[in-house]
Amino acid sequence: MAPKGSRKFSSSLPTQTLVLDNGAYTLKVGVVPAGSADLTYNDCSVAPNCIARSNRDKRTYVSSELSNCNDFGELAFRRPVEKGFIVNWEAQKAIWEHEFFDAKAGEGLRCDPRESNLLLTEKPNCPSLLQKNCDEIIFEQFEFARYYRCVGPTLNAYHQLNPNSLSALPQECLLIIDTSYSDTTILPLYSGQLIQSALRRLTVGGKLLTNYLKELSSLRHYNMMEETHLLNEIKEAVSFVAPSTQQFSQDLERTWKGRVGDRRNVDPTIVLDYVLPDYEHFSHGYARPHDPTKSRMRRGLQPPQGPREDLLPLGNERFAVPELLFHPTDIGIQEPGLPETIMQSVAVLPEALKVGMLANVVIVGGNSLIPGFMERLESELRALVPAEYDLNISRAEDPIKHTWLGAAKFASQTELLKEALVEKAEYDERGSGWLARKFAGGDMK
Amino acid sequence: MPHVEVLPNSATAAAPGWTYVVDTGYDPSRVAINPKDRKRAAARTAGRCGDNELTARQQAAIARRIGELDRDNDPKQQIGIPGKSAPAKTANARRILQSARQIKHWLDEEEALVQQGPAPRIAAAAPRTAASTRKLSTVPPTPLEATPGPMSVVLTPRPSTAREEGDLLLLTENSMAPPPSKAELHVLLSALPLSYAESFATLPADHPPQRQFCDNCGYWGKIKCLKCGARICGLECKEAHESTRCLKWA
Repeated sequence: MAPKGSRKFSSSLPTQTLVLDNGAYTLKVGVVPAGSADLTYNDCSVAPNCIARSNRDKRTYVSSELSNCNDFGELAFRRPVEKGFIVNWEAQKAIWEHEFFDAKAGEGLRCDPRESNLLLTEKPNCPSLLQKNCDEIIFEQFEFARYYRCVGPTLNAYHQLNPNSLSALPQECLLIIDTSYSDTTILPLYSGQLIQSALRRLTVGGKLLTNYLKELSSLRHYNMMEETHLLNEIKEAVSFVAPSTQQFSQDLERTWKGRVGDRRNVDPTIVLDYVLPDYEHFSHGYARPHDPTKSRMRRGLQPPQGPREDLLPLGNERFAVPELLFHPTDIGIQEPGLPETIMQSVAVLPEALKVGMLANVVIVGGNSLIPGFMERLESELRALVPAEYDLNISRAEDPIKHTWLGAAKFASQTELLKEALVEKAEYDERGSGWLARKFAGGDMK
Repeated sequence: MPHVEVLPNSATAAAPGWTYVVDTGYDPSRVAINPKDRKRAAARTAGRCGDNELTARQQAAIARRIGELDRDNDPKQQIGIPGKSAPAKTANARRILQSARQIKHWLDEEEALVQQGPAPRIAAAAPRTAASTRKLSTVPPTPLEATPGPMSVVLTPRPSTAREEGDLLLLTENSMAPPPSKAELHVLLSALPLSYAESFATLPADHPPQRQFCDNCGYWGKIKCLKCGARICGLECKEAHESTRCLKWA
């Protein structure tokens, strides 16, 4: 804790780095020893970034304790990260302490901040006052030995680093689409540096999709406004992206019940019944093909024997909800769809970079796991990109942990890391204003 | 949904005499001076203002709904931290830990700082220019605001000569032939970050009209509710709509 007095870098870096991708929904974390090679997704552990409180069993669950929870009914969440930025440090501190500073913390994650480096990721366009808060807490409260904060997805440029080569260069042109819980961002990267003026953001993220499904189900069937966890599970289980706008219209016709006097049979390949968990016998629901007789029974009689079951029929909700990523105007958000947003982003770039970016598009973030997302994005983007341009889109192998892995590879490179990290003593001497300028890339050596 | 626009019929032959015409227009002279059904009369005149235009009240309701859908924490819920946590070590840390501000407060403050001037923001190289004219809220942009991106960094594109196929492949493989000049790159990479509100994509002025869905079942919203303007698909949903959601904006 005591300042070392010297503002020169002492040559002995702590040997381990806590790599923390602090998302709004989950935190992705792992301890990376210096110079470690062969990092994989398995070195990363994922924990919910929330404190949950149930009014039924009167218990509070902090982060990974949620895996012990059996009754997700009316579970209320407190999330320290809002719109991707750490806002509530009281809750964030409790979660971090629980996850990796406590004596009870998980084996691989426990670390002493005073003997560790911290590599912390943030969302782009973070308000500078929140960045200042973050820096102050990291050094003054947690007292990390060294620390570096940067925009998380930029570290995806370091995936192809060769651990043996000395001249470790990041990928030259890379267009990262981060479709996450809070929102969706388009990040053009040049040699690992974010081209700030070309960054574009969409309001639509996983949170908005879950809340929209919650609203629709509550309006059409049961009141589920308190069942965020359940609706998120349902969204992950059943939603899909229609392959095209035309197919969307067709699917909408096929799930329509028709008019009075002109009944239609809904398409059983799309409409599902989701058997809701009762949190007594089983705590996870499941989907099964729609059975019209069962849903009629729901209104009046329950089957005389057998367990009572509650069904949530899901028709056009399955594809109308993720459709918001491609048509945000459907609920009145005044933003273009994801493909147009990508084109707006690259329109800012000079021609050569534009070609390079579109040839290297990588999708990260949980929404990309929705079936059909990649196909739809690729076909719509291909239609917008000039024919003579190459377009290569790929989804990261594990879109949730991919950014963490890029950060871990960056952290395993001692040379790169040494350049980026800031020592606590230096912070104590120069203060948070200087630190903010340094992390923003200002030449304030 | 395809956008169907009815073009005005120009076949008006100037002929002497008289002719039968279909009376479709709104004729104020035929409306009773004191109509009995005031609501209907109001709806009839209000309906003239165009299909895709929304009243200020409807816009506010939509903005509120989107805010609701995009909210992280319910301000009504208070969830305490269980157990004892380490106390704050410095005054700064205590202040930050005890802060009860939400993200909207921070974003508003950031916006205010940007409005005041570039002083608190970190000065790098390129000055902010057109970037600050980008939209600051979710209201539909005017055509002026809809110009995408800061113009200062849009570099003059090279005259596009007809490139050969092989050359182009080479280009994409190396990502860099012909590369932008050092100065160009420097301007791009040293540009200041946009503020949060400026980072959103903007809807182009010529975007297709918004698709309308039934308020109740999610099918196409072909009919407009006369009372509140919400869309519904048919009689059945109209009944459901009137018994639940209607008059929400009234």
